[in-house]
Amino acid sequence: MSTRLAAIVTLAACGSSTSAPPPVAPVPAQPRVDPTALAAPAAFERIADRAERSRALFAEMGKVLLHPRCVNCHTPDEAPRQGDDHELHDPPVVRGSADRGVVGMQCQTCHQDHNLELARVPGAPGWHLAPVAMVWLDRSPHEICEQIKDRTRNGDRSLAEIRDHMTKDRLVGWAWSPGWGRTPAPGTQALLGELAAAWIDTGAECPP
Amino acid sequence: MIRVTINGVERELDVDPEMPLLWVVRDVLGLTGTKYGCGEALCGACTIHLDGNPVRACVTPLHRAKGRAVTTIEGLSATGDHPLQRAWVDAGVPQCGYCQAGQIMTAAALLAANPAPTDDDIAQSMAGNICRCGTYVRIRTAIKTAAGMK
Amino acid sequence: MTIAITRRAFVLGLGAATAGLALGLERRVAAGPGKAEAPATTVFSPNPFIQIGSDGSIAIVCARSEMGQGVRSTIPVIIADELGADPAAIHVVQGDGDVRYGDQDTDGSSSIRKPYEQLRALGATARAMLVTAAAHRWGVPEARLAARDGAIWDGKRSLPFGALAADAAKLPVPATPKLRPAKELRFIGKELPLRDGPDVATGRATYAADVRLPDMLVAVVARPPVLFGKATKVDSKRALAIPGVRKVVELPTPAPPVNMQALGGVAVIGDNTWAALRGRAALEVTWDAGEHGGYDSRAYRRELLAAVRAPGEIVRSVGDVETALAGAARKVEAEYVVPHLAHAPMEPPAAIARVDGGRAEVWACTQDPQGTQEAVGAALGIPKQDVTVHVTLLGGGFGRKSFPDFAVEAARLAKEAGVPVRVQWTRDDDLRHSSYHTHSAQSLAAGLDAAGEVVAWRHRIAYPTISSTFKAGADHPSNGELGQGVLDLPLAVPAISMQTGAAPAHTRIGWLRSVCNIQQAFAVQSFIAELADATKRDPRDMLLRVLGPARQLDAAGQGVTDLPNYGMPLDRHPLDVGRLHRVIEKATAMAGWDKREGRALGLAAHRSFVTYVAVVAQVVKGRHGEPRVEEAWIAADVGIAINPDRVRYQMEGAFVFAWSNALHGAITYERGAVVQSNYRDYRVLRMPEAPRAIHVELVASDAPPGGAGEPGVPPVAPAIANAWFALTGTRVRELPMLPRPGTR
Repeated sequence: MSTRLAAIVTLAACGSSTSAPPPVAPVPAQPRVDPTALAAPAAFERIADRAERSRALFAEMGKVLLHPRCVNCHTPDEAPRQGDDHELHDPPVVRGSADRGVVGMQCQTCHQDHNLELARVPGAPGWHLAPVAMVWLDRSPHEICEQIKDRTRNGDRSLAEIRDHMTKDRLVGWAWSPGWGRTPAPGTQALLGELAAAWIDTGAECPP
Repeated sequence: MIRVTINGVERELDVDPEMPLLWVVRDVLGLTGTKYGCGEALCGACTIHLDGNPVRACVTPLHRAKGRAVTTIEGLSATGDHPLQRAWVDAGVPQCGYCQAGQIMTAAALLAANPAPTDDDIAQSMAGNICRCGTYVRIRTAIKTAAGMK
Repeated sequence: MTIAITRRAFVLGLGAATAGLALGLERRVAAGPGKAEAPATTVFSPNPFIQIGSDGSIAIVCARSEMGQGVRSTIPVIIADELGADPAAIHVVQGDGDVRYGDQDTDGSSSIRKPYEQLRALGATARAMLVTAAAHRWGVPEARLAARDGAIWDGKRSLPFGALAADAAKLPVPATPKLRPAKELRFIGKELPLRDGPDVATGRATYAADVRLPDMLVAVVARPPVLFGKATKVDSKRALAIPGVRKVVELPTPAPPVNMQALGGVAVIGDNTWAALRGRAALEVTWDAGEHGGYDSRAYRRELLAAVRAPGEIVRSVGDVETALAGAARKVEAEYVVPHLAHAPMEPPAAIARVDGGRAEVWACTQDPQGTQEAVGAALGIPKQDVTVHVTLLGGGFGRKSFPDFAVEAARLAKEAGVPVRVQWTRDDDLRHSSYHTHSAQSLAAGLDAAGEVVAWRHRIAYPTISSTFKAGADHPSNGELGQGVLDLPLAVPAISMQTGAAPAHTRIGWLRSVCNIQQAFAVQSFIAELADATKRDPRDMLLRVLGPARQLDAAGQGVTDLPNYGMPLDRHPLDVGRLHRVIEKATAMAGWDKREGRALGLAAHRSFVTYVAVVAQVVKGRHGEPRVEEAWIAADVGIAINPDRVRYQMEGAFVFAWSNALHGAITYERGAVVQSNYRDYRVLRMPEAPRAIHVELVASDAPPGGAGEPGVPPVAPAIANAWFALTGTRVRELPMLPRPGTR
């Protein structure tokens, strides 16, 4: 019940994502108005140092990457997680050799390519787990940043391809429309893409 | 109109494309062997095959089966003599029987993919099929018996 | 060949029938197994249970509901064996609700133990008449003749039953036929086939929702979240706009007590189940919660504990417990809490009704067809004999389907709609509007003397009683409920006091497989293990010690005025402590109890439904530190086991059912309404959690049959809790062992 209330509150707040902080010095490196909101790249332009701005942009992206809707499928082990407390997925499923479950309990045995409201089952095209190399659960923004940049661990993607993946992939996009009772990731997929582009433009620096 | 092959017979269905296959097979086609247990892909009683792969019919919309082949428990074998069905009857696996069609359909896909499953393989693949009567131990034994029969 | 089915054609039953005829598929238009009519050739029916045709066909009625216990595989065999028919050659008919069948309540593990003698007499009656007919035909003395394999034999010559049926029908029905001696029984007690196995394995078995009638509509009901709540505002505009939705009907709210009434709500009637489900989701209803809107199970738990921390009404008393406790060298005390539980059978309740003028016909997965006739008759205002109730297979019952509410709903809606209606309960309906196992707290206190003997035993108990469902305001456990492990508990203790506290009910309380044995055995068997630990005794030895020596007990010996004894006379089914000893010895021997170093074993034993069961469980820690039962050993004394395979399997299934309850099971309430809604938050045991092996052995016995369906449940939770203590040193005093976040 409380999850549903939280969802309503979150949905109501989601629109207001681009308030700039008041122009008072000293300006915090990571401006925040609302923890459920996502700041646009423009809000970081006041950070003069390019590397520092880059790190701040990634920290803002981290609000999405570390959100339960994302980390629940970026797990280090056999099991996806679910819920905002990262409980083990129930019914009990295991990763399988192709990150898509095992016979009889494949991801797509139950998950469809869209959310089901009556049945309360989330869905998006190509529902599956991120490979173990892309673990984000219980990782720091620094570790996630390093992993995203590492072609041996990011599906051999260039940074531009990473940005496209974040901006366009429909399974990624599910995080913002997760369906019944689930809190969406902050901001929007488009905004995440803009932050990623800005981060790359400023040198793709990783937070410490 | 959506064209689907069901138990080997091609049909054209003028039915809401979002209607879950469970209600298509039960209410539209009168194939009542596939059961409703939860409606939320949690219990497995509704398990059917879509192109040979188990899916939960209660959440699989008709349009996902467009142009594809659906198999229900009625279509698993022509005369009820799939090795699993024979093993189930010989070992007296069912108690109330309501979950067993779903159990058999999942087990059939398991054995088709893995003819010699370990207990762990069985547990992982069958974890989505609930039995409230508690027939799990006999199910596990019957799967291994059926595997030996092949 | 492509079969086209248009939307117009498939009002339920019609489109499918068209397709069915085109393909030659079987058409299940009328009832499944519900028709209890005699085969056309019947000429000999000495009682309602047996019909023999001139063509030799033999139909035998099973008048109890099949929900997995195997009654359909067992009851007809009892009759057939006594009669002299080969069970493989008979046709089993599922009996409709009919007073001529006697008691059809399928509850209390009574389907064999209560009518066993009468069932045999039914077969013996028919046999006697066929023998007499043959004796007349051949002109020989009856004593020469034998009945077997569907014929009467005189040495090598025989006459099949069919040839004798017409003559037998003219004979008077003997009042007290002679039963066969045990050595003549060929099938009772042997390994019997599962009658419905082939149908289940091929999807042909007919459960309630599988019954299809021409022009049938489907209804799904939006239900008041709180017991006796009402809809104060119903906006059905969006619901009626859903394609396929025909009508929205408000159902009446019952006045307390619930009794056998339906609970009310707003029904959406549609062409098919999907339309009705979508329609219900589109309803906008404002509910008034009513008097139970404040029920919160976390707060109620505190009330229950308060009730058992004070003296209560004495229900059993021997000696002077308070003095004995005060003077004891040591005191051990513990409190035990068990939450509400839901049956959650795999088949949610469903019923179909057709109402024509002053008659109603119902198909339902009911455990009580005569009660259903009565309730439907009352709801429609027609005599109950004008209500026909067909009993389908049940996809699990566990006590939920003893309530006829879902059939009453179907009847009301069929009358309203003017066509047959299936009422389909969804899983959330089932979990949120059940007839719940009660929510209990118990306090146990024992006094030990210097030698570690138990000199005082005080048990305080509080839970809302099942009586509250039938009598408004009832707030103490009934004698029947206390007779499930409190009044009938053997105790070799000189000072005993058992007391009950008040606990008002705020939900519909019903019967869940083994009923109050669940919490009462959990507390007692756990507590005895705690006493073993306190006195450094082996738990088996302590249990045997506390139960006392092998002896037979009566009410006076128990310190009570009346022992319900599950409705059985004490002289036929005595409270026999020796039989409890034997299953304890057997189960511990099976488990290698005396060589258990390196294994964490727990033991519990309990008599219920006049059957004795002991369970030993071995636990380990699972991958995430959770309790895992590795192996279990069960010894059961059910007296004569008519169908040993089904009896053993009931014990095995009961283990899994009880472990599921103990590990995961909890129905909780906030603001008067049940929190849980599906298997995601009412978790149940799955295959990976099942033990590697469950060993069951039955004690060979000539005693009259005891219950089989429920007695396997009560010892399981305490055996596992005791094993967990052996493994971890942590006492489990509250169930479930893995509660969901926020529920406790």
